Amino acid sequence: MFLVKGSNMSLLTGVKYLSLTWEMTKLSILSAMEYRMSFLTQVIGMVINDIGLILVFFILFQKFPSINGWHFRDTMLLFAIQTVNFSLVMIFARGVHRLGRSITRGELDYYLAFPKNVLWHACVSRTDISAIGDFAFGIVVFFLAGNVSLEKMATFALVSFLTAWMLFNFSVVVQSVTFFVGNFEEAAEQMFHALLGFSFYPQNVFHGLLKLIMLTVLPAFFITTLPNQVVQKFDLQILLLMFIFCIFSFLLAIFIFKKGLRHYESGNLINVNM
Amino acid sequence: MSMVVTSPDFRWGLKFFKYLEIAKVNYFTNTTYLANFLSKSIMVVLRIWIFTQLYRVTYATANENEIGGLTVPMVIWGLMIAQSLNTATRPQLSKLIDEEVKSGVIAYSINRPYSYILFHYFGSMGRFVSNLISNLTLGFLAAFILVGPISLSWNGLLLGSLLLFFGYTLDFLIDLMIGLISFWVEDISAFNWIYSKSQLIFGGLILPLSLFPDYLRNIAELLPFSQLFYSGSRLIVNFDFQLFQKYLLIQMAWLVFFWLLVGYVFSKGIKHVSVNGG
Repeated sequence: MFLVKGSNMSLLTGVKYLSLTWEMTKLSILSAMEYRMSFLTQVIGMVINDIGLILVFFILFQKFPSINGWHFRDTMLLFAIQTVNFSLVMIFARGVHRLGRSITRGELDYYLAFPKNVLWHACVSRTDISAIGDFAFGIVVFFLAGNVSLEKMATFALVSFLTAWMLFNFSVVVQSVTFFVGNFEEAAEQMFHALLGFSFYPQNVFHGLLKLIMLTVLPAFFITTLPNQVVQKFDLQILLLMFIFCIFSFLLAIFIFKKGLRHYESGNLINVNM
Repeated sequence: MSMVVTSPDFRWGLKFFKYLEIAKVNYFTNTTYLANFLSKSIMVVLRIWIFTQLYRVTYATANENEIGGLTVPMVIWGLMIAQSLNTATRPQLSKLIDEEVKSGVIAYSINRPYSYILFHYFGSMGRFVSNLISNLTLGFLAAFILVGPISLSWNGLLLGSLLLFFGYTLDFLIDLMIGLISFWVEDISAFNWIYSKSQLIFGGLILPLSLFPDYLRNIAELLPFSQLFYSGSRLIVNFDFQLFQKYLLIQMAWLVFFWLLVGYVFSKGIKHVSVNGG
């Protein structure tokens, strides 16, 4: 009886946080849209940026049409998954990339004064408008990659959500290192980009120690390799493995952040959050 | 005594000393936080590790030992040099200038007893040198372990390094130019993305221009992006005097173009600076 009541409570809290996240993101986007020119420049600029990135691989595959059985079409799918999961994090939880900065500068004080969860509040308080361009680009590239079916679309959506969650967890972990070492802002940013860096290349060329790094320190295997496999050919076991890793990394992220928060030293800055 | 002080050579020496100090301050500030400082170099190592596995498989699939005059070890050493230099230019100067313009700090900077452009040139140089030492040291070790040594020529090393120095200056001018756009445009991120992606495509940071299809390589070589860090690194790993003359000519043309453009835009831009008291 108590167990049922407890799970209902946490479900209700989860729904409440989700709805609050949606409202906060909506507000951020609407306020950004007030500056129409800036909004459009950011979104279109990001689409051009993504086109530029995929162009490098278009040129590579012009010269080498198949790399170990990997074709440009496979790279397109990789890009689609990566741009969508990245954009989901940047749209809904851009603040996660400023955690290190906020910790170093003592700016978490602002969030500590509120009744809601500190990590959640610090993360959802910012939205990267340009990520809307990433999202749109990812969807278009997914359809251009071909062989689209209803099943594939559903898998793509699910996988994008799961990998976005994993990316978020990874960011929380690396940004939270700042609690323990004082300044880790740039290193955390570099680690995030290192993780993303794996998602541009044919996944079947990696082996040896590099593969081990992809399984552990920079979990690109779960965020890039497996999702690509499961969208290409549905496999429930792979999906389950991804889900388990997602939960595990989430719990790890919460644990490290909570541990770190105890080390947090408040600043005496008075900040105005805009 | 007064004759010495007023002699143009001495004043020039003093000015140079002033800018050298600016470079030194930036050098040491950049190395304060070890984790942040080393993270860039570790990224370079990771990237060339990925490139090694990618190009080994690519060359094996194509069943070739040499493509466009480059073997796999040459590609990796060339990419290591280009990546080391490109990563060493971070953080981008345009972002710093953008912050200066937005916060209003620029109003004070332009009134100080130094040239605003030279201040940033030497400041960037200080950060660049500290990053470069670390990037090249770790990058050199990684390339050596991953693909082994390659034979280098003194001509290639000297003239390639000269092109890399000019390439650094060209990158500074383009980056400064983008930063100066913030005098007129509220958000310069889009310009930054386009510049960094142009570098990625045509700057040989992932795919060396020697591996491009011929028609595209001919176009890419004429663009400023290939003259930043690709041209110099290409000549270091496989020297060709004719190619050096060609690259030098293109690089000089772009340097003069951006130098004039920056001068013009800066003189126009500072007229837009308005100081609000408070």
